[in-house]
Amino acid sequence: MISVTPEFILLSLVVVTALAFDFTNGFHDTANAMATSIATRALSPKAAVSLSAVLNLVGAFLSVEVAVTVTNAVIRIQNPDGSPKPELMADDGHGLLLILMAGLAGAIIWNILTWLWGLPSSSSHALFGGLIGSTIASMGWGGVKWIGEGYHLDGVVGKVVLPALLSPTIAIIVAFIGTKLVFKLTQGVARRYQEAGFRWGQIFTASLLSLSHGTNDAQKTMGVVTLALIANGAWTSTTDIPLWVKFACAIAIASGTYIGGWRIIRTMGKGLVEISSPQGLAAESASAAVILTSSQLGFALSTTHVCTGSILGSGLGRRGAAVRWNVAGRMALAWLTTLPLAGLVGAGMWWIGHVLGQGVGAFVVFAIMCAAALYMWWHSKRDPVSHNNVNDAWEEPKDKAEAEATPVAGGTH
Amino acid sequence: MEQLLAALDGAWRVLLVALVLGAGLPTLFAAGIRALAWGIGGDAEVHGAGIIVKPNLIGRLVAYLLFAIVRGSGALGIGYIAAHGMGWRATFDGLLPVFTPKQ
Repeated sequence: MISVTPEFILLSLVVVTALAFDFTNGFHDTANAMATSIATRALSPKAAVSLSAVLNLVGAFLSVEVAVTVTNAVIRIQNPDGSPKPELMADDGHGLLLILMAGLAGAIIWNILTWLWGLPSSSSHALFGGLIGSTIASMGWGGVKWIGEGYHLDGVVGKVVLPALLSPTIAIIVAFIGTKLVFKLTQGVARRYQEAGFRWGQIFTASLLSLSHGTNDAQKTMGVVTLALIANGAWTSTTDIPLWVKFACAIAIASGTYIGGWRIIRTMGKGLVEISSPQGLAAESASAAVILTSSQLGFALSTTHVCTGSILGSGLGRRGAAVRWNVAGRMALAWLTTLPLAGLVGAGMWWIGHVLGQGVGAFVVFAIMCAAALYMWWHSKRDPVSHNNVNDAWEEPKDKAEAEATPVAGGTH
Repeated sequence: MEQLLAALDGAWRVLLVALVLGAGLPTLFAAGIRALAWGIGGDAEVHGAGIIVKPNLIGRLVAYLLFAIVRGSGALGIGYIAAHGMGWRATFDGLLPVFTPKQ
């Protein structure tokens, strides 16, 4: 029988927060697999998110090999075998649980904020950023593994910064060449006939991306939840995870995917470039190839960066297609700031939790996170984006358009 | 510096393989659509007014062959994701992948 102790309540809060992060991870990344298929109308918006949700669920269950050592890439709260550092284990692992709680809260707040802005930022960067922030607040700068040793890619530089610079570049090149070749080859084929053929290819590659997302991203949260259980002593194995954790994470990421981050889907499918079916296929094939190849070669990367790079590349590869560079610029800014800002929030959360002490600290952190999430959700109601208007013609945000329109009245269009 | 070199080393390998798979396969698929349009004739291709484009068997056969290659690669992709999730390792010594359980 489980007795309700303060430690148990803290553990429950961390688990709920981790599942909430998994949920935001789901809706934040629906766009990666499905934005182009929705934009080209290969799939209706509802069908696209349903298909993606089911495949994420299947993918999450497929991932038998779960890394409990997921945080080891960037921070030093675990030993190489996955067991937590002993100094964090005092008071039923309170130190470790507070780091996880604050880090996850930082990641969630950043994820929801970028969703509100419709920006496809990386959920793994948000998670790592939040955890890095709370770890620095707790253990100082030495708690972070900044750079790997020698030629072994590791640490913040090797696992996060360098891949974030290189992977979108690779995706842009591959999608650019793919799009060029596809358009060259299908010249002379009747337009309607062309679109129909490419739609099937698009649906297939989108499914492949969703499946791969389920196997990769769900298990990050599974690892974090299991680490929390180990910290508390509720679980001891570092090679296995409890079955209920797997179920809960799979359902959290799939339901997040089903809810659909329509604001982000809209930016990626309509905002960045106007996309046609052949471009969509080229972009998604490039994403799938880059992601699967990297996973085979052990090269860490963010799905979001790859998919955005591919869409950009497919826009560059089509003659006459305009890339909206201001949208691309905003995205790039969000990419650069995700890790440090999620870290800042994570650190702030840790301080609040720490100062208030063991009894109420985690509760207050949880309450602040919920309040921030609700406020941003409420704010999003002012200009809602849903499956009904996700494909509407792209307009620049009102305040900006007005500001630009005043000095050059009617001059730009 | 070593980290940068290691990343670049990983990156060019990813780029090379991804070019073959990520740009090559859609190109084959596009070639298939081109061949199929040729094979079906009629209004599948852009043609001048008054000209009747006849269906062509070779076009269709080439198209089906190309689609089969693309589909096979797609199936391998699914197999790869599944095997990877189950903790198996894929090696590509020959043309076909070999899946072995990890130690």
